Amino acid sequence: MKKSRLTTALAGTTIVTSMLVAGCSGGGGNDDGSKKLTFMFRGGEDEKAAYEKAVQAFETANDVEVDIIVTTADDYNTKLKAAITGRQIPDVFYIAPGDVQGYVNNGVVKDITEYVEGSETIDLDNVWAYGVDSYRYDGTLQGQGAIYALPKDVGPFSFGYNKTMFDAAGIPLPDPDVPLTFDEFVAISKQLTVDKDGDGAVDQWGTGLNVQWNLQPFVWSNGGDWLNEDRTEVTVDTPEFAETLQWFADLTNVEKVTPSPAEAQTLDTYQRWMKGEIGFFPVAPWDISTYEKLDFEWDLIPYPVGSTGETATWTGTLGIAVSNTTEYPEEATKLVEFLAADATAQQSLVDAGIQVPNLKDMAQTWVDDSTTQPANKQEFLQIVEDYGRPLPANNTYNGEWYDELFTNIQPVLDGDVTAEAYLKEAQPKMQAFLDSANEQAEQAAALN
Amino acid sequence: MAHARADAPAGTSSAATIVPGGAPRNPAGISSTPPPPRPKRPRLHRREHLVAAAFVAIPVVGFLVFTLYPLGYSFYASLTSWNGLSDPQFIGLKNYVTMAGDPYFRKALFNTFFLMIGIPIGLILSLVLALALNRKMAGTTFFRTIYYIPVISSLAAIAILWQWAYNGDFGLVNQALGLVGIDGPNWLMDKDTVKPALIIMSVWKGLGYSMLLYLAAIQSVPRSLYEAASLDGANAFQQFRSITLPMVRPVTFFLVVTSIIGGAQIFIEINIMTPTGGPEFSSASVVWYIWQKAFENLQMGYASAMSIVLGLIVFVITAIQFRVNARNSFSVD
Repeated sequence: MKKSRLTTALAGTTIVTSMLVAGCSGGGGNDDGSKKLTFMFRGGEDEKAAYEKAVQAFETANDVEVDIIVTTADDYNTKLKAAITGRQIPDVFYIAPGDVQGYVNNGVVKDITEYVEGSETIDLDNVWAYGVDSYRYDGTLQGQGAIYALPKDVGPFSFGYNKTMFDAAGIPLPDPDVPLTFDEFVAISKQLTVDKDGDGAVDQWGTGLNVQWNLQPFVWSNGGDWLNEDRTEVTVDTPEFAETLQWFADLTNVEKVTPSPAEAQTLDTYQRWMKGEIGFFPVAPWDISTYEKLDFEWDLIPYPVGSTGETATWTGTLGIAVSNTTEYPEEATKLVEFLAADATAQQSLVDAGIQVPNLKDMAQTWVDDSTTQPANKQEFLQIVEDYGRPLPANNTYNGEWYDELFTNIQPVLDGDVTAEAYLKEAQPKMQAFLDSANEQAEQAAALN
Repeated sequence: MAHARADAPAGTSSAATIVPGGAPRNPAGISSTPPPPRPKRPRLHRREHLVAAAFVAIPVVGFLVFTLYPLGYSFYASLTSWNGLSDPQFIGLKNYVTMAGDPYFRKALFNTFFLMIGIPIGLILSLVLALALNRKMAGTTFFRTIYYIPVISSLAAIAILWQWAYNGDFGLVNQALGLVGIDGPNWLMDKDTVKPALIIMSVWKGLGYSMLLYLAAIQSVPRSLYEAASLDGANAFQQFRSITLPMVRPVTFFLVVTSIIGGAQIFIEINIMTPTGGPEFSSASVVWYIWQKAFENLQMGYASAMSIVLGLIVFVITAIQFRVNARNSFSVD
């Protein structure tokens, strides 16, 4: 009895301890010897369904089991980073261009150049260069060197307008080949901003743009930018930048062609656009499946142009990378290649209305198909091939410096602070974050 | 069970006249005699000690592995530049210097303490509620249950519910305000209303718990004190001020200390209701900022330094509270 008491206590301690230790490890292949990969990605319902289908096709063709971990867009980054710091890295996962440098320097993602270039099933020349180049990194500069991921998609952030509203107001439709100027854009917006039901309150607006996603096209087109060439200096305190931000804020406060901040708070402009209350609004490929169901007609046009006369916008992208710790690098890379460039898989994703085809030849067929919305799909391809730029923080070591601009910007949009005064104050803070990011990049590179 | 067994060795050892150190009692002056025989049942004695040690080992090992080691490592990490992926690089006090000049850290600290305004409000309300529910009237059990439901509900679920309730357009709060003709703000999107909104929610959430503790304290006040007071002509308010309030003092102290420690670590509701730290960083708490630095920006070293500072702040505040409490304490015996 007494002996068992000691044994019980010791056994208890051992069991508890070993359970705790066991709880911290785990993962990896199957007991029965079959190959198993985990694939972590993010997306809404449509996207999830489309990717599950594609993954199933891969499983059947390759005799590999793939466990899917899907999160919402908001949660993805946090969950992935927690998995990485906890050394539970999924075999295959989405990676943002802004994370490439950090993950490469710390050995999280695998260099897949050799496999991809030697592969017979993927023709890199047929994939958007912007998509692939976003995941190249040579140890000092991103955009060149070894390939660390293939694009899941490229996301040209285009501009659209409500055709039905233009027709009803008797305004000639904008030319898809000749961008509007800032002034023309404001003039048309003013014409569209009206009180339709005559109750004294405006219920239709020219536009309504989110500063975080729409400021870039206007700043670039007006000759401003966030960074200098070698990404060492924050240049938001230039007159061009200030002028554009002021113009952007004035759309609400001076021209009054957008819902007021209070109106935008009760129902955001995205919802109002979908209700047909807004004339100009951004359109990205992932919106197509939703916008197809709208009860008005819409189409794409280039962004309005500022002093440079050149239209500009950004192209988003997300990559699919292979973990450095995967047990089955070959199968994992195959899965990446399949999702990024397999014709059947791409077709099913395009049919789901969530992206532009990654394959150039397929994209051309998609553009030529006049049965699907929008009519001017060519604009998407022009952005990808021609005038789309990466988001400012895509090629820096981290995005803290970039986020800083938007954290305290509300007073400018409310008209309480001038753009010039705000940017003068923000620049040193952003510069400090950028310096620290560049310092970390150097430190991490030195360790390799 | 563990307690009963831990007692056993003490009993045996005293029977064998062994002092805790294990040396036999040896009266002075009889130094020539050989050492006394070893205690009688040494094996049993040793075994009992081993059993005790094994049971004690569980919490001790737990403390060492899950509290002391992480604490020590956090302190070390706070002196390094570490992204959680590669090895930490020692950089001395640089993180602390950065923190001193970091406006966001100061703002997060301010926000965290601002949100503690809810603590006194909650205490007063719960004391009033406890007094009300202490009276003999119909439905007290019902109300006690109602007020206690938020306490046992998951904070994450509650945060999501309140997030909906605070929605500017169709939220319950603004609809209710609309009934009395008030056009409510968009609570969580406005930097002036987001903190009051969070305070209201946390008061509501904590009310039941404080109320229950107060209720128990009020009910344990001896009736004789009230009888004596009313014989002396004290009215209800005087009785409350001079008897009830001092008698529930230990509970108040306990609640203040635990609420401040808990309040300093507020995170879940912030992260769910204002996932970006609120408009213009107006609802970001220290723990939220630490979490953001550690897991969004992968600055584990800096995050550790902030945790250490937060820990010190909480420690100092608690120490001051214990000091103040000790000075004001009294006994009614």
